[in-house]
Amino acid sequence: MDVFANLATGFSAAATPGNLLFCLIGCLLGTLIGVLPGIGPIATIAILLPVTYGLDPLAALIMLAGIYYGAQYGGSTTAILVNLPGETSSVITCIEGYKMARNGRAGAALTVAALGSFFAGCVGTIVIAMFAPILAGFAVQFRSPEYFSLMIFGLVAAVVLANGSVMKAVAMVILGLLFGLAGTDTQSGVTRFTFGVTELYDGIDFTPLAMGLFGISELMANLDRRIEDRTQTQKIGSLWPTRKEAMLAFPAVLRGTGLGALLGILPGGGAVLASFASYTLEKKVSRSRDQFGKGAIEGVAGPEAANNAGAQTSFIPLLTLGIPSTPVMAIMVGAMMIQGIAPGTALITERPQLFWGMIASMWIGNAMLVIINLPLIGLWVRLLRVPYRLLFPCIIILCCVGAFATSSSSFLVMMMAGFAVLGYAFGKLGCEGAPFLLGFVLGPLMEENLRRSMILSFGDPLIFVQRPISLTLLLMSLALVLMIVLPSFRRTREVAFQE
Amino acid sequence: MIRITHPQDFWSGLLFVAFGAFGAYLSREFTFGALTKMGPGFLPTVLSYSLMAVGAIVTARSFALRGGEIQPFSLKPQALIIGAIILFAMLIERVGLIPTVFAVILMTSYASSEFKLRDAILLGVGTSLICYVLFIYLLSVPMQPLMWNF
Repeated sequence: MDVFANLATGFSAAATPGNLLFCLIGCLLGTLIGVLPGIGPIATIAILLPVTYGLDPLAALIMLAGIYYGAQYGGSTTAILVNLPGETSSVITCIEGYKMARNGRAGAALTVAALGSFFAGCVGTIVIAMFAPILAGFAVQFRSPEYFSLMIFGLVAAVVLANGSVMKAVAMVILGLLFGLAGTDTQSGVTRFTFGVTELYDGIDFTPLAMGLFGISELMANLDRRIEDRTQTQKIGSLWPTRKEAMLAFPAVLRGTGLGALLGILPGGGAVLASFASYTLEKKVSRSRDQFGKGAIEGVAGPEAANNAGAQTSFIPLLTLGIPSTPVMAIMVGAMMIQGIAPGTALITERPQLFWGMIASMWIGNAMLVIINLPLIGLWVRLLRVPYRLLFPCIIILCCVGAFATSSSSFLVMMMAGFAVLGYAFGKLGCEGAPFLLGFVLGPLMEENLRRSMILSFGDPLIFVQRPISLTLLLMSLALVLMIVLPSFRRTREVAFQE
Repeated sequence: MIRITHPQDFWSGLLFVAFGAFGAYLSREFTFGALTKMGPGFLPTVLSYSLMAVGAIVTARSFALRGGEIQPFSLKPQALIIGAIILFAMLIERVGLIPTVFAVILMTSYASSEFKLRDAILLGVGTSLICYVLFIYLLSVPMQPLMWNF
């Protein structure tokens, strides 16, 4: 089988002792930061981004994969034990997981979450290995008009699936695109929005932006929420689910995995949608529906598996088309670009070691997590009890050093402070940061592809509807826009985000 | 009198308009070009005006919508945190890592409502030493542990 041969290439590239060590460190660091209350995976990855700077590309990506899975698992741990969701997708885990914890079943909830995620991760890895090359083969036909329409589709999806007001999400995307355009224009050499600052000539540095906007602003928001009063953790109890719980959890994991793998491929936050959808599904098919809301194990197992499967398959559009579909993926693009890797079709053919190595590393990251985190759960819980007033100054130091180390420039530290203020303001004003980040990453790509398309068509904008793939993508975007206008969908969306 | 019934949207709309206006102002000096040959000013100008338009709609709608109260915020801790980051930027190339970290830790700790001087000093000493070992000794980030450069 081709898939397995390819995966073997990947594993031999990824599973060197050095890389495994980096994956382990990544997992530990990711969980370490991710478990802290009020810090979600996006913030965690942003904060830890500089740690991967000095490594070679594959090692850096493997470490990032470790950080990513560690952060997700850390987030679930906090959701279950403290009832503090770090991100939208673990809101669902809070509902049943925290109830389970209050019933003394926290250990079982954590184990089910970890094993369910691991199973979903395995399936997700195989799905990527099977479908990524197919999609990449398809994407070879893509020219700039197709890429432009694809980005439009991605951005529209990000807006539709964003939490809260659609108009504000649109504005955030545009603002992100504008920020993305800062720096030297590749075609004319004109410097835009740089105010004569040399550090901005190559565009706004990704790391300080992400750290300020998502890392530090979250810490600031947490200070307002008086998070320190809330770190009352529940007892863990036995780690093993009872036979009955296992029987309930297993099918839920299967359903969640299927749902997540499917929805994750969609651009625009499939993973979040997946955990909501899975929860709804579990509630529908459950024979003991009255258990929901009181600590139903299916309500932890399904959404956690769906979330992880979705997170895994959302790598597909990134790796094949170079288009990030979720904010986490946008951070991954940033990290890849720092390493000089351009995600996209060329990656598979030109650097197969790297491509397959990265896919293998996802599985390794998942496996590592189960092996180290379940035994270490006691340690993470103890970390949850460390007072917040001692933790957040350390994280701020970590961010400052990271921003400075990006290119040994204290201007970048200043810039991070600026983005922290901006991110904090966005939070207070109810504006989502995710669409902004996607816009920021896609800005330069979009300009380039728009330019090329216009040159190709001699300035005729109809080119986007005359090419079949491009037209399909635009029609899909239109369908998404119509969906949001339709009152029935709108209502479901509001309900989904309120629950 | 007209009342703002949705403060979040009112202010975020204004913020978008301000960003859009500023972007449009800065984009003035770039060549706009035409569709066949887009200048460096094309997309920035188009996006800036779109942002102003969307921002205006968001603000306009805020008179019709309800809710969206802006959560109360305390200025002191936030200012301290931002100030501490700026302090880091100003000190790191002047006095080196160890004193910088110590100062920043003290300042950020003060932002917490449960500030304890003794803990903050202990944390500052501990963190600056760990930072020295981790960043300079182990990760060889180009920073001086101690210096004097004014």
